[in-house]
Amino acid sequence: MKKNLFLVLALVFVITFSGLAFADSHGEKISLTVAGGAVGQEKELTIKAAEMYMERNPNVTVEVLETPDLANDRLGLYLQFLEAESPEVDVYQIDVIWPGDLAEHFIDFYDYGAEKVADKHFQAIIENNTTTDGRLVAMPWFTDAGLLYYRTDLLEKYDREVPETWDELEETARYIMEKEREAGNQDFYGYVWQGDAYEGLTCDALEWTYSNGGGQIVSPDQKITINNDKAIEIIRQAAGWVGTISPTGVTGMGEEDARSMWEAGNALFMRNWPYAYALGNQEGKPTAGNFDVSPLPAGDSGKSAATLGGWNLGVSKYSNHPEEAAKLAMFLAGEEVQKMRAVEGAFNPTIKSLYQDEDVLEAVPFFGSLYDVFTNAVARPSTVTAPQYNKVSELFFQAVHSVLTGGSDAQTAVEYLELNLMDTTGFETGEPLQP
Amino acid sequence: MSNSNSSNLAKEEQKLAFKLLIPAFLILIIIALYPLGQVFYTSFTDKEFASSKETSFVGLDNYKALLSVSVKELEPIIDEETGEQVVDERTGEKQFQRPIRVLPRDPYLYRPSFEFSFFGNRYVVGARTPDFIRSVWNTLIFTLFSVFFETVLGLIVALVVNSEFKGRGAMRAVMLVPWAVITVVSARMWEWMFEPTRAGLFNMLGDRFGLIETSYSFLSNNSLQLPAIIAVDVWKTTPFMALLILAGLQLIPNELYEAAEMDGASKFRQFFNITLPLLKPSLAVALIFRTLDALRVFDVFQVMLSQKRYSMASFNYFQLIQARQMGMASAIGVIIFIIIFGFAVLYMKSLGVDTE
Repeated sequence: MKKNLFLVLALVFVITFSGLAFADSHGEKISLTVAGGAVGQEKELTIKAAEMYMERNPNVTVEVLETPDLANDRLGLYLQFLEAESPEVDVYQIDVIWPGDLAEHFIDFYDYGAEKVADKHFQAIIENNTTTDGRLVAMPWFTDAGLLYYRTDLLEKYDREVPETWDELEETARYIMEKEREAGNQDFYGYVWQGDAYEGLTCDALEWTYSNGGGQIVSPDQKITINNDKAIEIIRQAAGWVGTISPTGVTGMGEEDARSMWEAGNALFMRNWPYAYALGNQEGKPTAGNFDVSPLPAGDSGKSAATLGGWNLGVSKYSNHPEEAAKLAMFLAGEEVQKMRAVEGAFNPTIKSLYQDEDVLEAVPFFGSLYDVFTNAVARPSTVTAPQYNKVSELFFQAVHSVLTGGSDAQTAVEYLELNLMDTTGFETGEPLQP
Repeated sequence: MSNSNSSNLAKEEQKLAFKLLIPAFLILIIIALYPLGQVFYTSFTDKEFASSKETSFVGLDNYKALLSVSVKELEPIIDEETGEQVVDERTGEKQFQRPIRVLPRDPYLYRPSFEFSFFGNRYVVGARTPDFIRSVWNTLIFTLFSVFFETVLGLIVALVVNSEFKGRGAMRAVMLVPWAVITVVSARMWEWMFEPTRAGLFNMLGDRFGLIETSYSFLSNNSLQLPAIIAVDVWKTTPFMALLILAGLQLIPNELYEAAEMDGASKFRQFFNITLPLLKPSLAVALIFRTLDALRVFDVFQVMLSQKRYSMASFNYFQLIQARQMGMASAIGVIIFIIIFGFAVLYMKSLGVDTE
């Protein structure tokens, strides 16, 4: 018995010290972990990029940690790591609305030489990822913006143009919906979008208000601007779509619900993110080859607005190797990897020059034609209201949702929203910023 | 002599018993009492989840924010020309001031929670956190109806599978299927059946048989949300109820029924005079189980309604993960704890469950 114990102990010593000796003779061996998404091709592409990095940096092993698909769940997981100040994850893939809220847990990329590459990326995203005290807490990885999907075959059939204003969209949708229903498709609707009470509705409603000259809820200079006639007017107009050009169930729809209805051929227009483009063109679907994308319609401001989405890479302050992790994050967010992801997975690059790259444009043609939409996307007020953004967003989408479902009228809802926002953020009210 | 000896022995044994209980107590303290105490403590602070913000002691502020209510009367809107109260032309309802005008704003903002009429006057109940008040209300309604239907249906199912018939064993197994399905999975399944278009089962059936004009959106229509959720829970948990009641039924000796038969008691009479009284203890246990379970309902609400409508537990979750208000979330946890504790005591007392 004792002999055995001794043997085990000896073995442990040997293993421990040989490890040390090994590390000594081959330079420091570092292991880094990237917490990334696994939606569609995401995980494969992240692993591929990690392998590219490992090939060039043999002393580093990169592991990819799969995280939940739903952004809320993912945030919950991250918060647990961060609350525990865990060094387990070095690089986090974070939503475009999180840099403000999570800033205190991340390193400043400017300390690791990011000023050389920051200019290559879209200005709006860099600004979004920069805290009020000037720290760049996340590198842009890929971007997203709300787009209007429309059925080319149906617009042609009924000789209609792609709508440029919300009124035109309403009119065209109503007309074609009526005709299609007369022709026998009882399940056909004019317009599907994200109306469930969640972050997606914040994105959609922000596009309405901003394009109508109603501002962006809270302006970047910390003024609450939502309570104005333009915002109230467009929210009221959107509530009018529910049960007319949009199904009553749109108030329970997320991205995937809208997409499945659209791909079944039961909608003329859809508001969605770029990811639906490749999926809608898959063979066998009624939409394949029969649709295109354009900027979302404009309101009274005369300009279209698209909410900025997308994901970024932040490096944890609690990482054991922050410098190496920062290097890895900047490699992943660099030109080479972004190009690979654009070509293979249709992920929108955040680097401006890639939108002129021939290989990228060949793979995803609308990257070129809708370049302006991506560069001018309007950010949600996440950085300015940090760390209260989730609260702010919830107040906003709950208010809009109550109007959409008829629970309250637009004016009352917005008046209360203003009071609630003042209560939550402590900001003053102000005039909305125009696009 | 022998007396003191045996008592000494008893003492020794008692000591040993305590020593043997120590590990169990330690584990209980580590996994139950410590976290619970931590939650109690955190509920008196303004701790933010995953934040380095300085945490300070705020006393009862979290509880005040959750539970403060203010009832105000709403003045009727008087038409200046006729001097009478304005009536909405479309709905025919009398018009009152909007709550935003009367609810207090300083030092705290009160939001309207719900309105009610009393002797022709209209009142509004304002709360600092109306979502919480509503979530408590939702949970109570959910609990009341789901437990009621589950008990009634469970009893019927149990009586059926308790009687002699061919294929009874198979029937008992089949009965358990909904209970075996993971709640999140069954919630998703029902979500599909509740689809607001004709792709959803209920809308499709209604449409096929000409019962409905337009499609219903069960999960986003305010008045249909709770019935929909209750239906899911009843479907899922009735088997569990049936199982517990079935166990109780099998404890009732057959001789009693034979004797009743001899005395000429009807089946009806047998049920009320024999089955029900003898079933009471198992029914009580089943009711307590289900009620306490229903009060902390989370998964069905989270999957099907998410942030459209909260239960107490899902509101708690969103306070912690979304709003990151750990102090506030802890206070909610404590209140849920107290409510459930209250129900447990109430049941024990009213159903006369023997605690020994």
